[in-house]
Amino acid sequence: MNEAALLATPLLWLTATVGVFELFDTLSKRFGRHPLCHPVLWSTPTLIAALLATGTSYATYKAATFPLSFLLGPAVVGLAVPIWAERARIRRLAMPIVLALGAGAVTSIVSAVGVLALFGAPREMLATIAPRATTTPVAMAVASQLGGVPALAAVIVLFAGVVGAMVATPLLNLLGVRDYRARGFAVGIAAHGIGAARAFQVDATAGALASLGMALNAVVTAALLSVVALMV
Amino acid sequence: MLRAILLLLACQLAGEIVHRQTGISLPGAVIGMVLLLCWLALVPRERPTLTVVAAWLTAHLAVMFVPAAVGLIDEGTALSRYGVGLFVATVFSTLLTLVVTALVFRWALDRFAPGDEA
Repeated sequence: MNEAALLATPLLWLTATVGVFELFDTLSKRFGRHPLCHPVLWSTPTLIAALLATGTSYATYKAATFPLSFLLGPAVVGLAVPIWAERARIRRLAMPIVLALGAGAVTSIVSAVGVLALFGAPREMLATIAPRATTTPVAMAVASQLGGVPALAAVIVLFAGVVGAMVATPLLNLLGVRDYRARGFAVGIAAHGIGAARAFQVDATAGALASLGMALNAVVTAALLSVVALMV
Repeated sequence: MLRAILLLLACQLAGEIVHRQTGISLPGAVIGMVLLLCWLALVPRERPTLTVVAAWLTAHLAVMFVPAAVGLIDEGTALSRYGVGLFVATVFSTLLTLVVTALVFRWALDRFAPGDEA
């Protein structure tokens, strides 16, 4: 098999993606999982550079890495498992969860879309940023459903997670919110999985509430935006 | 193991079918997640393997969205035109959401669930 043919097999880009990610993941561990060392943040430009250097189109790359992106679906379905495991706590904290979830989901959508609209962005961009607080696979699915750009939505979500994970501790200290349940839940709503990972580093209860916030927000934001999409 | 994978795939497939047949604009996978919750509630039993499989998938979410993020390669125009707006809106929205959610949760905790311990 010659080199050109090898560039065309799915195996090459699949291996490159997992390999590059694994490299940056190892580095991220070495830096104590600092949000700025998030492996996606570094794998993405590296792979883009590799595509540009080899003159490979995104369509080719996307087709080759399909097995990897396909797993996002079952992973989203699997979020039901931690929610189910937390059902006793959800029942006890029903009111705080429902109220904070509603307030957080609406605040996130309205503030993101509102500020971006001030910059004169078109509908396509507003649809891209609207699900920015959900976990990435949900944000991509919702963005494409609303006529946005899934790739851009993925990067916005990632960036939001990094920002949320970095500022949560100092910002919530400043506000005097000491309760780990409130802190964890807020980080999960505002900064999904990256925020939850950070919350687990701080406190186990905060981590559990953050995962719960992330999973519930994925459903609520997707549902809210579906309703909005029907109306506009 | 296979049974846990089958359950996840079946829920996703059912979610896709509901999505296409009813025109509900929720993504199929999100509907699938709700269906799995219903299944877990209807057929209650210990599911250690499902827990392991779901935890494995969730722990490796990050690598799964790399292919989508690489799609940025085709988004140069949008980024150069709206990059600043996207940056400002994302930072502002993330901070405000953190503050609002934490304050509402704490307020509701004091008001409705004073007895619950962390």
